[in-house]
Amino acid sequence: MSSMALRTVDRDSLFTRLDFRPKLFMIAVITVVAFVWEDPLMGGGLALTVLLACLAAGVRPGYIRTVLLLMLPFSLILILTQGFFSGALLTNLTGLQPDSFHMLFVFPAAWPLIGSAGLSWEGVQYALNIIAKSLTMTLVIPLGIFTTDVDTMIVGMVKARIPYKIAFVFSSTLRFFPLLFARTQAIIEAQRLRGLAFETMGPVKRLRVYARIVVPLILSALNESQMLDVVLQSRAFDGSPDRTYLHDSRLMAADYALFGLFGLFLLTAIIGYVVFGVGKFTGVLW
Amino acid sequence: MLDNQPTGEERTVTYVGGATIDGAPIAYIVVLSAVCTALAFIPFSVIVALGGSFPLSQAIFPLVGWILGPIAGAIASGVGALVGVFVAPHTAGIPAVRVIGAVVASFVAGSMRHGTRRSWWWFPITVTGVICLALFGGRAMVQNGVSLWAVVAGAFIDWSALLLFALPTRALVSKWISSPNPGLMATGLGLGTWIAAGMAHLVKGMITYFMYNWPEDVWVTLIPIIPVENLLRVAVGITIGTGVITGLRAIGLVKPREAVY
Amino acid sequence: MPEAIATFDKVSYMYPRSTALVLRDISLEIRKGEFLGLIGPSGAGKTTLCLAFNGIVPQFYGGRFFGAVNVAGLDTLEHPISTLARYVGIVLENPETQITATSVENEIAFALENLKVPRDEILARIPRVLEAVRLEGMEHRHPQELSGGQKQRLAIAAMLAVRPSLLVLDEPTSQLDPVGAHEVFRTVQELNRELGVTIVMASHAAEELAEYADRLVLLNAGQIVDEGPPAKLYTQVELMQQLHLRPPGVTRTFHYLRKAGFSIPELPVTLNQGIAAIKPLATACHRQASEGQLAPAPRDGRPLVSVTHLTHTYDDGTQALRDISLDIHRGEYVLITGQNGAGKSTLVRHFLRLLLPTDGEVRIDGVPTRDLSISALARRVGYVAQNPDNQIFNTTVEQEIAFALRYLDMATGEIRSRTERSMAAMGLQDVRDRHPLSLPRGERARVVIAAILALEPEVVIFDEPTTGQDYQGARAILRLTKQLHNAGKTVIVITHHLYLMAEYAERVIVMGKGTLLRDAPIRVVFHETDVLASTYLTPPQAVQLAQALTEATGIPLLCLTPQEVAGALVCDTTGRSL
Repeated sequence: MSSMALRTVDRDSLFTRLDFRPKLFMIAVITVVAFVWEDPLMGGGLALTVLLACLAAGVRPGYIRTVLLLMLPFSLILILTQGFFSGALLTNLTGLQPDSFHMLFVFPAAWPLIGSAGLSWEGVQYALNIIAKSLTMTLVIPLGIFTTDVDTMIVGMVKARIPYKIAFVFSSTLRFFPLLFARTQAIIEAQRLRGLAFETMGPVKRLRVYARIVVPLILSALNESQMLDVVLQSRAFDGSPDRTYLHDSRLMAADYALFGLFGLFLLTAIIGYVVFGVGKFTGVLW
Repeated sequence: MLDNQPTGEERTVTYVGGATIDGAPIAYIVVLSAVCTALAFIPFSVIVALGGSFPLSQAIFPLVGWILGPIAGAIASGVGALVGVFVAPHTAGIPAVRVIGAVVASFVAGSMRHGTRRSWWWFPITVTGVICLALFGGRAMVQNGVSLWAVVAGAFIDWSALLLFALPTRALVSKWISSPNPGLMATGLGLGTWIAAGMAHLVKGMITYFMYNWPEDVWVTLIPIIPVENLLRVAVGITIGTGVITGLRAIGLVKPREAVY
Repeated sequence: MPEAIATFDKVSYMYPRSTALVLRDISLEIRKGEFLGLIGPSGAGKTTLCLAFNGIVPQFYGGRFFGAVNVAGLDTLEHPISTLARYVGIVLENPETQITATSVENEIAFALENLKVPRDEILARIPRVLEAVRLEGMEHRHPQELSGGQKQRLAIAAMLAVRPSLLVLDEPTSQLDPVGAHEVFRTVQELNRELGVTIVMASHAAEELAEYADRLVLLNAGQIVDEGPPAKLYTQVELMQQLHLRPPGVTRTFHYLRKAGFSIPELPVTLNQGIAAIKPLATACHRQASEGQLAPAPRDGRPLVSVTHLTHTYDDGTQALRDISLDIHRGEYVLITGQNGAGKSTLVRHFLRLLLPTDGEVRIDGVPTRDLSISALARRVGYVAQNPDNQIFNTTVEQEIAFALRYLDMATGEIRSRTERSMAAMGLQDVRDRHPLSLPRGERARVVIAAILALEPEVVIFDEPTTGQDYQGARAILRLTKQLHNAGKTVIVITHHLYLMAEYAERVIVMGKGTLLRDAPIRVVFHETDVLASTYLTPPQAVQLAQALTEATGIPLLCLTPQEVAGALVCDTTGRSL
């Protein structure tokens, strides 16, 4: 159950000292820029920067390895599909005609079905751009979240004008989901202990049986929620944001600096892309 | 009049209930959000055999919308998905897309109503869906050279969901789900899941397509797979939905104001 | 007499969409500094009464309300629940659902934040209340890292932080193991005696209430049947039994003695009183009162469950079982007991192949579990988990019982006949078309048992079947286990409620810290108090009384139940014991 809680890094760094709000802004800006940029070199640079920042912030290398390994099969599919089939897209983006693509590999013409199909360097570059985007968007989450204490996260949310009720749902979800996960395991076990042999069932039968584990999970959770409501009431909870907070969240100079930095970064990236075409895919990566 | 009238004087009771969001008790939202997070860790292994996998949480987002209503449902699913992303970002694919998909599925499901003060909501939702479809399909054809037939066939679940949502069929969904007849209820759940999951797929597809720009060959490969995957969601949605809704009726749990069951 | 801190004046209440009064004409005064116990069968209205103290009944539920409740001078219908929360702290039964925050300090701060207590003041109160419930230094722990008893103490601390006039606890120990229950009672007693906190506690724990409560209120069908000190209420043994309540074991023992003709002017309600009162009654004629066995019964043939040098280490390195060897034969009724974490469940999970041995071997009817699938084993070894609601997947009782059979390639006729047999055995024919969740908890448990029985297993394992049940519910389930045993099934029950098991189990396996501490007939094990104490278990009071008699006379007396202790002291005219 070690994965059933929000991970936090052990190392004290600039990232752990920052307020949650600028980090939330950072996540949003990096996600948008990664989405916009199509240039594999710039996208790759951004991904690498985020990866290094993760390491500097104390995100375990083992975790990053897991992310990379999980992305590997999908990355290979991307390289193959974009490398072999993205001719029209590449022509549109670069103005190059397929016959002027740089081919890395071509199947012999005599081969049935795939004969003469070729893996283009431009297509591979486009795939690399997508891989970089995905990697950036995934790794920016641990960078912002694993470095934030859950208490400051919630106060930060409230101060960022996220309604208190939603912040409360967020923190309570963090509290209760491990219980429900454990219950899911108990339900799956209960089902298997009814003698149901999933391994010998056909897919449709298996699907119908397996899906049922959710039924007791939702019903028991909703049934207990009435008691949860009573608990909240007896602790004077009415969902109002007009309350005090044990934890504090104040913006310091470094937080303002981060806001400024990422605001500027976003502005520059958008203007650069729209006006000067910086970050657009050119197909020229040598 | 009661038998054996109590000796105390009857008082006026001011019912305050608990804290709510859009008429749904916050405690319901919390537990369903936690259910979504917990199920994000359970892969639907059956589907693996077909080459892909989705977490079991995807199968309940529409149901959450029908239980809590569009706004509270979207919050429960969205926060549930967000916490899942925060706890285990590596399982999420594109994190933001996962959260958006959850929100859309519950919101669309909860909005399939008629005869309420929100009857008009279908219009902006449909317009948004049409814009997404236009951007999605347009980019495929104009920029990536995908042929019209491949887009039409590849986006079958998207446009069919949008069409079924825009037509009065969406009202039939809520009518059938709230029916005591198990067959009608199952039909409503099936149709509703097709629409909600299809619309979520449309929005998610639009965002991811701008990143992936799949060429025609990928579209062609996916043509038979995507509808089958959505049918599986429908089958799971019916199985779970029937069990949960009949169970909720048996328990006699207080119904949230915007619930459809 | 101390001033009243809360008063109920002719209070009656009806939940919305109901036509029956759940509280009827309750008039009651809670005095400052007292410890009031609320007792009564399930459905008597105890929880509703508890929730009326802070206005949750009726403000949160709605419904019809008659009369008035006053707490700290405030009418609970005229002030919002959030105001009343300053004066009444409530601790509920389930330790899991009432902790809503992600850390100990956040949990304590939660109510204070809602009440807009300044941050500095919150920071000052946290260590004080943690000290009061002995959870010092745990400020930053996640609730998941706490035991059940610690969670309940945290809930108490969270309430104490508000500095309420009154602390109301509704069955705070019913879901805890003996260690947790003891911790909670000790904490509450200290708060009451040392800090003068007024306590109202609804509980089925008769022995503890007799020890700690100043006054009891007996509720039945929403009405107060009687009130007074424990010595007044628990001594009405017949009334208690009529209401399916369990007076302390010591009181029942003396009740039987009184019925047998002994002159007992006052029935004792606490163990110390009982021990003092029983010693003078010891006569030379008493004898071993029952015919129960003292040595393991000789068993022939291959054991049904055979465990050899079983060791299990979890992935995180925790060694949960160490070198366990035991055999269970057909037709035995075995109790497995021990503190939480002793390894009881880990052991049983090996019988089901949910776990495989790290070392050693488990065989079912001679076949190593390694060579069997979980589903194949499940048809021979049935398992009834603690919470029936986690095991209900279908929309009618009949479908639930037939659920697994339908997927086992069984002929339709066979499915029908097995389903009918199971329903009949559990008395569920009349509710076959009902949704299982619309039935009361006891019947839901029967549905699950029926579904397991439909597989016709040879062994049925019950995991903590009595946790969270009242006395009547617990007895009903244990009677079912006996019924199955009489029908030839091998029954294994896991529980730490030893006082319930004396009449059922034949053999006891005591576990502690992953090892097998003792495996012997129940009559032997229940009297080995040192072994039981080493795994935080307490034998029933009747056993402790028998031991006091043994000590007084030097004659070993291995009684298990109040009836046996009383029987052992009854002599006929020739001076022989009866």
